[in-house]
Amino acid sequence: MIGLHHYLIVSAALLSLGILGLLTRRNAVNVLMGIELILNSANVNLVAFSRYGAGNLGGQVFAVFVIVVAAAEVAVALAIVLTLYRLRRTPNLDEADILRG
Amino acid sequence: MDEVLRSLALFRPEIALTVGLLLVVLADAVGAAWRNAAVRGLSLLSLAAALALAFSLHASGAQGALFSGMLVVDPLGAVFKIILVAAGLLVVLAFTFRNSRELHGLGQGEFHSLVLALTLSNLLLATANDLVMLYLALEMVSITSYVMVAFLKGDRMSNEASLKYLLFGAAATGAMLYGLSLLYGLSGTTSLPAIREFLAGGIPDTSRLAVYTITLLVLAGFGFKVAAVPFHFWCPDAYQGAPTPVAALLSVGPKVAGFAVMLRFFFGSFAVPGMGAWDLTGVIDWPPLLMLVSAVTMTVGNVAALTQGNMKRLLAYSSIAHAGYIMMGVVALSEDGARALIVYLLAYLVMNLGAFFVVTLVHLHDGTFELRDYPGLYRRAPLLTAVMGVFLLSLVGIPPFVGFLGKLYVFGAVIERGPGYWWYAVVGAVNAAIAAYYYFRILKVMVMDPGNEDRPALSLAFADRAWLVLFALANLAPVFFWSGIDSWTRGSLVLYAGR
Repeated sequence: MIGLHHYLIVSAALLSLGILGLLTRRNAVNVLMGIELILNSANVNLVAFSRYGAGNLGGQVFAVFVIVVAAAEVAVALAIVLTLYRLRRTPNLDEADILRG
Repeated sequence: MDEVLRSLALFRPEIALTVGLLLVVLADAVGAAWRNAAVRGLSLLSLAAALALAFSLHASGAQGALFSGMLVVDPLGAVFKIILVAAGLLVVLAFTFRNSRELHGLGQGEFHSLVLALTLSNLLLATANDLVMLYLALEMVSITSYVMVAFLKGDRMSNEASLKYLLFGAAATGAMLYGLSLLYGLSGTTSLPAIREFLAGGIPDTSRLAVYTITLLVLAGFGFKVAAVPFHFWCPDAYQGAPTPVAALLSVGPKVAGFAVMLRFFFGSFAVPGMGAWDLTGVIDWPPLLMLVSAVTMTVGNVAALTQGNMKRLLAYSSIAHAGYIMMGVVALSEDGARALIVYLLAYLVMNLGAFFVVTLVHLHDGTFELRDYPGLYRRAPLLTAVMGVFLLSLVGIPPFVGFLGKLYVFGAVIERGPGYWWYAVVGAVNAAIAAYYYFRILKVMVMDPGNEDRPALSLAFADRAWLVLFALANLAPVFFWSGIDSWTRGSLVLYAGR
């Protein structure tokens, strides 16, 4: 029988993988994927809590909004990464290092 | 339907900004020769209308929940709206495409629509009363800011700044969202007042750890918005890479909205209103945590600012330090604390925008942001140097300037809380002394250091002179209106905490 705990474990695993991707990847697109994993771990939480705990639809509505915002954020992020690539011919974040101090 | 109509009547400042935003986008799309003048006029008009409507909202003293509890309207929220709209209006009025060398010749339509969108989302964030609205507004502020920082498309610095800002912001808000999802799971609701009722009802000890985790995660999001340590790393890079008018707006708008939402979240859902103060719900003792963050923030900001050579970077670190002082108002958890917060934010608005304005003007004429190019300005631009002196003294917190008023109120609110808080006030005072060093260093470079003897005097345009004088006069506000500011803010301390 699958219960709330299973969902929470999956979500915690997704969060950890997302943070791992964020910290270890050097390619900007991979880092963005890590961020997507973090957002989706929260979505799994929200939907699971809505289904098993709270007994209202608030969490599912929240998750839908999160998906929309994530799409908007990635659109802006990819535009900026594209500009980075145009200016430096690389999607590697380590190359972006003129601002320091 | 009645509820929506009633809500719309109390939603007028936001409606004015939304209409202005749509008209600016339309006018820009027309492509006629007059579009630049039109978009500037339209955005000024809608910001001025929003400011007037925010004032009338404040004067009416209206309070209540809007749109089924998504947003809230109350006098304290109206003060935040006034500060936020004023920030947008001052940036559009004073920082023009004429006097910003970076923006010169770029698309005015995009810039003005982004300023309006940022102001609108700041207003929404400042009055959010539901986790969904809070998250949506926070992301709207963030995404608009990322685009604004990246405004100089072919510029490597602007691009890099925006990328760092974005990755940092996405990670911080992702962490916050995870915290919000846990908070929803714990309390079963997304409404802040309902969460307060749930927490005030007491929770089992086993859930206590969850509440601490949630507070830390949510603090990541708020800390990112107000640039508090350890979520401040984006701030110097973003300010340095962004066009100066954008940096000026970002240093005020999102910070004010961030503090507004922090106040509402911690006072409104993690505390219960009492007489003259708020009481903790007993579930979590969060003020020590914020106190630590605030003390570290002001210290890190001030110490890092000591060695900066780039004016925008220096002002970025100074704004981090100021976030630390402003947070003292939240930590105090009292009406005096809330009042100190809004007085400080009002002061911060005029002193910080003024300093950024001087930096813009120097860049317009000399093409530099480096402090080492500032010597000789005393001779070449006496008015500019004198006015910069006013802003810097105000930032240090020396009477009779408005910055002093802000520091007086926050320190007063913290000391009032009792001996347990005194060390915190001492940390703040020591920091103010450190800050005095680097602010006076700028003044010393401008007035006393040799250099630039052969360069001609700066010929400032009339409008720029006028704005310099106006900003300086605003910094002298306590001389004329101290009692007015005192009673106006005292009368605005109603935080609506119902559903």
